[in-house]
Amino acid sequence: MIEFENVSVTLGEFRLNELSITVKKGDYYFIIGPSGAGKTIILEAIAGLHHPDSGRVLIGGEDVSGIPPEKRRIALVYQDYSLFPHMTVFDNIAFGLKMQKLPASEITRKVTAILDRFEIGHLKDRSPYTMSGGEQQRVALARALVTEPDILLLDEPLSAMDQVNRDKFVADLRAIHQENGLTIVHVTHSREEALSLATRVAVIIDGTLEQEGERDEVFRKPPNRKVGRFVGIENVFDGTVAGSGAGGSVVTVGGCSIRTGDAMPGGCQVCVFIRAADVSVRHADMIADDEFNCFPAKIEEIIPRESYYLLGISCGISLFALATEQEIKEKGFAPGQAVSVSFLPEAVHITREDAHSHSQFPSV
Amino acid sequence: MQRPLKLPDACLISFALIGSLIVILTIMGLLTITVGQVTDLPYFLSVATESKVVDAIVLTMLAGLNAVVLLLIFGTPLAYILARTDFRGKGLVESIVDIPVMLPHTIAGIMVYILFMRRGIIGEPLSQIGIIFEGAYLGIVAAMFFVSSPYYVNAVRDGFEKVPLHIENVARTLGASRFQAFRLVVLPLSVRHIFNGSILAWGRSIGEFAAIIMIAYYPMVISTLIYYKFTTAGLRESTAVAFAMILVCLVVFAILRILMKRVGTYDDRV
Repeated sequence: MIEFENVSVTLGEFRLNELSITVKKGDYYFIIGPSGAGKTIILEAIAGLHHPDSGRVLIGGEDVSGIPPEKRRIALVYQDYSLFPHMTVFDNIAFGLKMQKLPASEITRKVTAILDRFEIGHLKDRSPYTMSGGEQQRVALARALVTEPDILLLDEPLSAMDQVNRDKFVADLRAIHQENGLTIVHVTHSREEALSLATRVAVIIDGTLEQEGERDEVFRKPPNRKVGRFVGIENVFDGTVAGSGAGGSVVTVGGCSIRTGDAMPGGCQVCVFIRAADVSVRHADMIADDEFNCFPAKIEEIIPRESYYLLGISCGISLFALATEQEIKEKGFAPGQAVSVSFLPEAVHITREDAHSHSQFPSV
Repeated sequence: MQRPLKLPDACLISFALIGSLIVILTIMGLLTITVGQVTDLPYFLSVATESKVVDAIVLTMLAGLNAVVLLLIFGTPLAYILARTDFRGKGLVESIVDIPVMLPHTIAGIMVYILFMRRGIIGEPLSQIGIIFEGAYLGIVAAMFFVSSPYYVNAVRDGFEKVPLHIENVARTLGASRFQAFRLVVLPLSVRHIFNGSILAWGRSIGEFAAIIMIAYYPMVISTLIYYKFTTAGLRESTAVAFAMILVCLVVFAILRILMKRVGTYDDRV
């Protein structure tokens, strides 16, 4: 559907280096990266509002460099909603239909239908700036969708919302994607949004594509330390491959020997990733000797998060695990308590570490 | 309940005192003229109703308005280009736009004269088809257009720049061509600035003297007439003419200010 072929853009401080990505028809494609990485430019390049310095943008297999934004059938929703302040909600939504020169009755019918779809019918005569952020966002989305675009581009649509509106909006976006199989490209710095909506994800850091793939692949198997940290893998270690076999490798991290499903030649310097969600914590007496990656440990701290707890654990290395409030109460976890931790070899992902990035991150 | 008296700090008080000089100067000037004329009302009325004076005032206002209309046509596109595009030599173009502000107006007058006189690069071919600038209404308009253009272009450009680029971009993705986006989104959101720029340019045009007399001493605009009266008939008569013009200007600009309060207020947050 959308292909970038070695697209480079330089804009002030920002630089996009030879970006090549592929968005397939029907994808809910996420572009994630730290804030201020110029991700908006990528959307504007798709929409035809920004012309890359080099490289090609193809839509439906066709080079679109000569096609102006108004002819691309691509709708764009900015983070700041960008509603037309001199028009009512109704006129805002009708704008695209008027550009299509539809008859007035048809415009009224379509606008009314989408107002109802987003439950904003009561706002139709309001002026944009008299509405809340959540309401403005719904109007902006309705305005984009009423023209029935082939592709919907979303620029950090959730970042200015409170949690309640955000959850509602995420549900809306999921429904929109599923209802009409619309191709959506969504740019954000929030991995939470990507986790709950994406089918495919591209990670762009410092203007360079670090990884592109299925959602679970990106969040579980980062290609390097930078991406691993960005996608929020809580446990990242330096290690050395001690030995390798058919079933995987054994990696030495600190004093621990950790078994992994990934194979890597012996002696390699590697980066080890273990998601906190994959670490299970049990009472110390429940240690099973025949299990791989099972270590006696001590709870150092319990850190409350929004809907769960993060357990800081030491077992020769410092490890994070997740726990629900229920679990903590039931098992009576408390700082200082002796426990045992374990994780499956398949949950341990390793990547080869080159000397350069190694020097930047001293071992944990 | 009595509100506690709030005293502004020493800095604000001294700034207000120092700054009041400018305000006081204008008020003093206006008051002196007004008192002189009001105490000699019959004389003022006889001068102010002279056909020469009335004609000059009407001519000045109309020619100024005409210059503004030309600025709307030619200055608006330029303002958009300067607001929305980046190109090599943009700084140079910006400086050229500002030149009429910097130049002594006699020099502006010579420039206008050289271009628009009967033998001028622009004046010559146009005189062939009967369009004459020298000593004519069009010469006045040309001079006014030239000296007031930076005020208009810069004010409108400011307005265009204040319309968020994102809003224009969204209009494009919704199917509007660049011109449609300009007409339906950018222009309505800049109405206030365009109105403002027009008033500035009109005011500047009305006040022009030096640049006008070079190309068109006749027909006399109000400034020419006042100067003429001053040098031939003396202070008394020229002040009466001046007061007539002051009254017209005050009324017109008061009306414009009231109108402006109603124009394009939705863009306050843009």
